[in-house]
Amino acid sequence: MSAVLGNPMVTTAALPLLLGIAVALLARFALPAPSPVLTLFWAALLLFFYWDTLGPPVMPPVAASQKLIYLAFAGIVIGLLPERLLRSRASSLAVVAFAAAFLWLGWRRLAGGSLDLQMIAALAVGLLTLIGGTVLTAQQASASPSAEEPFLAPAAVLALSLAGAIVSVLGASIVTGQLLGSLAALIGGWCLVQYVVMLRGGAAASWSKGVEFLLLFAAATVLIQVALLAPKANPVALILSSLPPIVAVSMRGRLQGMLPGTRPMRPLVAGILIAAPAILAIVTAIVWAPHGAALGF
Amino acid sequence: MRTRKLIAALGFAGASMLAAAAHADNYEIDGQHAWVTFTIKHGIYGIAHGQFDAVKGAIVIDKADVTKSSVKAELDVGSIHTAFDQRDSDLKGPDFFNAAEFPTISFESTKVEKVDDKTGKVTGNLTISGVSKEITLDVKLLNEAQAPWDATLTKAAFSATGKVSTADFPMAKAADGFGLGPEVEIAIDLEAVKK
Repeated sequence: MSAVLGNPMVTTAALPLLLGIAVALLARFALPAPSPVLTLFWAALLLFFYWDTLGPPVMPPVAASQKLIYLAFAGIVIGLLPERLLRSRASSLAVVAFAAAFLWLGWRRLAGGSLDLQMIAALAVGLLTLIGGTVLTAQQASASPSAEEPFLAPAAVLALSLAGAIVSVLGASIVTGQLLGSLAALIGGWCLVQYVVMLRGGAAASWSKGVEFLLLFAAATVLIQVALLAPKANPVALILSSLPPIVAVSMRGRLQGMLPGTRPMRPLVAGILIAAPAILAIVTAIVWAPHGAALGF
Repeated sequence: MRTRKLIAALGFAGASMLAAAAHADNYEIDGQHAWVTFTIKHGIYGIAHGQFDAVKGAIVIDKADVTKSSVKAELDVGSIHTAFDQRDSDLKGPDFFNAAEFPTISFESTKVEKVDDKTGKVTGNLTISGVSKEITLDVKLLNEAQAPWDATLTKAAFSATGKVSTADFPMAKAADGFGLGPEVEIAIDLEAVKK
C-alpha cells in the first residue's frame, strides 16, 4: 500500500483525480457547491497535496518553496471569507494577495537587481496572473448561467496548472511540477463529474468565489515560483501558461460568439479555447526543452 | 607592595594577550588550490561525485591557542561541477541548491578543538539555501611553509572531511524523490595564503 502511495504517478495523477471526483460527487449529492463546508474540503485537499509534495511547513519559511504552503493557507483564509464580502471586494483582495505573493516569493531575486530574461518572464507571469486572478475573481455569476459558465474558472485553473506542471518538469523543477500536476488532476476530476452531470441533462455545479480564489491563487503562486526560480524553465512557455484565466474571462465576452449552439459542445469548445495558450505553452516547452524531457541525474 | 603586584599581574596579562594576538595568523583561501568535493549515493546504484570550483574565505589560526582559530568560507553554487553539464544545471535548480534564490553556500566556524598537533575538529554553521545547520569537520593541517620560489609567500594546506544530510536543508526531496543521499560526504583540500 505504501509502495502504491509512494509512486509519484499515483500521488500526482490518480489520487487527486479520484479525490476531485469525490468532491464533485459530494457537491452533487451532499453539499451545495457554495457551502463553506465544501470550501473546507477543497482547502483540506489542497493542503494535503502541498504537504505530500513539499513536506511539512517550516517555520519560519526561508526558501520560496517553503513559503508556498503559507501562501496556499492565505488563499484559503481569503477563500473562506463570506461570499458577499468576496464578491464586493474581489478585485482589491486579489490585487493585494497576488502582488504580496509575488514580492514575498521573489524578494531575493528582486533584491539581486538583475533584469535577465528569466526575471522579465517572471515579472510577466506575475503581472498576467495578477490580472487574470483579479478579473476572474471579480466576474459575477450570471442570473441565468450558460452551459459553459460553471466550467470557465475550473478550466482556467486546470489549464494553468497542467501547462505549469509540464513547463516546470521540463525546466528541472520537479517538485513544483508534481504539485501543479496534482492540482490539475484534482480539478480534472471535478470537471469530469460536472460534464457527465450536464450530459445527463442536469445542471453542472459552479465553484463558489472562495473555492475559485483559493485554487487559482494556489496554482498561480506555484507558477510564479517556477518563473522566478527555475532558470531552465522556458520563459515563453511560462508566460503562455499564465494566460488561461484571462481567456476564461473573455469567454463571457467577445469569445462567446465562437461557441457552438449545441449545449454539450459549449463547455468542450470553451475549455479548448481557454486551454489554447496552455497547449501552446506545453508545445513550446517540449520543442525547446533544454535537454529534452530527461533529467541529468 | 600590593599595587606593584597588581601592576605586574596586569602587565603579564596584557603581554600574554599581545603574545596570543601575535600568534593569530590570517590566511586567505587560495581559490586556485581549493577542492571542495562531495559524494552522494546515487539511487540504487553507485556513488556520485561533485565539486564546487569557486571557493573563497578566510582562516585565522592562533597557534598559541588553537581554540581561538576560526574559518569563514563561501562557495559559489553556480560553480558546481559533476562532470555532466545537464546534471550541473539541474542541481542549480529549485529542487536542489536553488541558485537563483541562494547563489552561495557559506560556512562559519563557531568552535575549534585541538585533537593533536596536526589535527582538530572545526564545528560551525553550514548555510545552504538559507538554512543553517551545525556540522563538524575533521581537519588536518598538512603543511605550512614558505614557497621555495617566493620568500614573501607562505601557505598552509589543510584537509577536511565531514558529513551532512540533504534532509536538513530545503532539498528534502533529494532522497525520497530522486534517490540521492540523503547522506553527503564532504572532502575538502585547500591551500591558504598567509597575509
